[in-house]
Amino acid sequence: MLNHHPLTRWILGYEAQRKRMLKKASHGPLRDFLAVPFPALNTPFEQIPILAVDFETTGLDAIADKLLSVGCVDLFHHQIKLGSSYHEIINSKGRLKADNVTIHQITDDQKDQGKPLAEVIEQLLKRLAGKVMLVHFSRIERQFLRQACLELYGMAPPLPMIDTLVVAKKRLDKRDVAYDPSELRLSALRANYGFPDHYAHNALNDAIATAELLLAQVNERGENMTLRQLIL
Amino acid sequence: MDSALTEISEFVQAIPPLDLLPSKLIEQIVKEINICYVRRGQLLPPQGISDENIYILRKGALSYATNDNELLGKYGEGDICTVFCLGNDEHIKVSTDEDTLLYSICYKIFAQLVNEHPDVIAFFHQTSEQRLNKKMLQVNEDAILNSSLLNSSIANFYHSPVVTVAPETSIQQAAILMTERGFSCLVIAQNNNPLGIVTDKDIRRRCVAQGLDISQPVSKIMTSDMTTIDIKNNAYDALMMMTQKHIHHLPVTANNQLKGMVTVTDLMNNEGQNAVNITSVIHKAKSVSELCEISKMIPKLQIRMAKLGTTADHVGKSISAITMAFTIRLIEMAEKLLGPAPVPYAWLAAGSQARQEQFAHSDQDNALIISNNMQPQHSYWFKDLATFVSDGLASCGFIYCPGEVMATNEKWCQTQSQWSKYFAKWINTPDPKALLHCSVFFDLSTVYGDSRLLDEVRMKMLQTTQRSTLFIAHLSRNALNLRPPLGFFRDFVLIQDGENKATLDLKHNGIAPIVDLARIYALSEGIASVNTIERLQQAAGTPSLTKASAANLIDAYEFLSMLRMEHQAKKLQQGEQPNNYLPPKEISKLEREHLKDAFKVIKTMQDSRQSTL
Repeated sequence: MLNHHPLTRWILGYEAQRKRMLKKASHGPLRDFLAVPFPALNTPFEQIPILAVDFETTGLDAIADKLLSVGCVDLFHHQIKLGSSYHEIINSKGRLKADNVTIHQITDDQKDQGKPLAEVIEQLLKRLAGKVMLVHFSRIERQFLRQACLELYGMAPPLPMIDTLVVAKKRLDKRDVAYDPSELRLSALRANYGFPDHYAHNALNDAIATAELLLAQVNERGENMTLRQLIL
Repeated sequence: MDSALTEISEFVQAIPPLDLLPSKLIEQIVKEINICYVRRGQLLPPQGISDENIYILRKGALSYATNDNELLGKYGEGDICTVFCLGNDEHIKVSTDEDTLLYSICYKIFAQLVNEHPDVIAFFHQTSEQRLNKKMLQVNEDAILNSSLLNSSIANFYHSPVVTVAPETSIQQAAILMTERGFSCLVIAQNNNPLGIVTDKDIRRRCVAQGLDISQPVSKIMTSDMTTIDIKNNAYDALMMMTQKHIHHLPVTANNQLKGMVTVTDLMNNEGQNAVNITSVIHKAKSVSELCEISKMIPKLQIRMAKLGTTADHVGKSISAITMAFTIRLIEMAEKLLGPAPVPYAWLAAGSQARQEQFAHSDQDNALIISNNMQPQHSYWFKDLATFVSDGLASCGFIYCPGEVMATNEKWCQTQSQWSKYFAKWINTPDPKALLHCSVFFDLSTVYGDSRLLDEVRMKMLQTTQRSTLFIAHLSRNALNLRPPLGFFRDFVLIQDGENKATLDLKHNGIAPIVDLARIYALSEGIASVNTIERLQQAAGTPSLTKASAANLIDAYEFLSMLRMEHQAKKLQQGEQPNNYLPPKEISKLEREHLKDAFKVIKTMQDSRQSTL
């Protein structure tokens, strides 16, 4: 409730936070990121610069677990631009747990050939500047990116986000009918729209799959949506 | 390569002609893809795209149609929509049939990438050209169908001078004059100033039917508020005027002076030119697919002819002529492909096509008659020919004959002597069941090749049939199985169930019995014609058929055929499959009375046939 008050929105709003942090930030990738304004809340959907992002991690705990890979792609003007796609494996310390490898299919060898975390996050922030981040189930991406920024730059930037899981959940909640949480999984939601199976648990693949899902969700609503209706 | 894009690459690489490209190039192409999502029922290109793009369908379906919603084709998953790749074609619109996920690629960039693969580029160019070709064909089609009516002046059609009589001329004199000159109408004029018009119908309705004295002046029965048309109008205006006013004769004036007369028949003959136009287009066609396009005009032609009040006989002849032209063109193509025929032969049409009573898109009944010099090794050539032509006809909408009366059937691809043997067998040992099946072969005509082959067989056959009373009796018994639907209460017996519930089967209960009767008369009298009306005309006055009965049968036949033609035109116009099932509600009370009369004629003739058995 508090969140919707205009005053709190102004104090806590991501644009206000960005400006405040920009003053404190020292030169480097984070400052560059903070220097670009975010789109306004009344921006129509087709004009929102969106970066669909997905992380593969060694677990769910942003402090104890490691970021393994990052994938992202631009979504703008109702189009997913494959030319902008970016995918990188991160060379983090420590060995991978076997049960995890079966999910993300990134082996120790691949990981060891990956790029350092600082370089990958810098690339990601460069792509993310001025954009809204699109994810499916925002907790992982938000916490891991915050954690990485804290480790690398000593502060975590505001991250305006759209979450396709939340978009879907709001719709299901409105129906007032009980549903199985598994219906909110990316692959299940995609199947609802008749989308082809995608090769899941690859960061770029999931990012593209999430972007496709958002296109379908926005199109389904029909009306002209603005960022305000979509943002978390 | 990123595994996400690998998945997309694999999808793209599997699509012809992109499957010709090396993986490296596919990777570059994939990088140029923008994924878009278009909801069902939207037009392409998607929002915000104006470039000349190609669209690969990842999921969903598209259809492309002309601006007046004539469906040209559909795209499904894994198809490439090339409609927009060479500029936006304003004559074609593409819309989504389902929610659709598209991979769009800028064609300019794509063309640069595949620059070194002319075969792939050619694919994209070729499809646009094919589309263009298709469009041109459509334009031509309209031009051919609309023919010259719109752009030709009445001056090309009217008869001059018009026969005029003075108003005081007696009705009898007028009738005599009309008979002498072979005119169905006269203009009544005083000092070349037209007062009115008199037609056959006026004499019938206003004089004979009313018992009016024939010595009365013709002005008593003339139509005085005469509709005329100025010579400056075009033929199409004349046609419209006649259609609106339900008249068949239209005096033509210049400066209010009577110049001549234009009749529906004059314009109809011009419509007949359409059939001629179509046949000439057929002769120029270079490929089966081109023929296929042309064949789509046939139903339209049939509708137009029916609308203009052309007789069913005329329509049947025109459509049969067109089918013949298709067949000839296909045979020419086949001969070009297979080389010249090893021995003389002829391609035969059987059944309705041979009788020239064919309507749009009936099934193909055909056969081959080959010179007796044929050697066993030649059979391959004829088999190839038959397959090529029959497949070609099928793709032009003439469905394969369900009874396999086709040249592709070895049984009906035989030498002259074998055909003679067949006929001898049918005639000498008539098996009623076999006859029912084979009666189609008593109506044969040569479509292409050496016509003497069939003529000789037919001559021999007719000599035998004339003498064979047993054969004629069997044929008659078969023919009498189909009875007109007159119940005890002289009302219609309608089909009782199924899809055609409460309809009248015009073909089996009306037209086919007359066709069968005509065949019997022809075979018993040794008449070589196969067209039903010609058979009846020629049989008239022979021991088999009196002149009066022949005239009645011809009337009944023409009436039933006309009903069928109008019914089919209606169906075709509604975009439905034409059939022979007429709901009595569809026709007027008067027509229903006529229909009963027609059935009575058939019944009378069948009964008299029965008595000879």
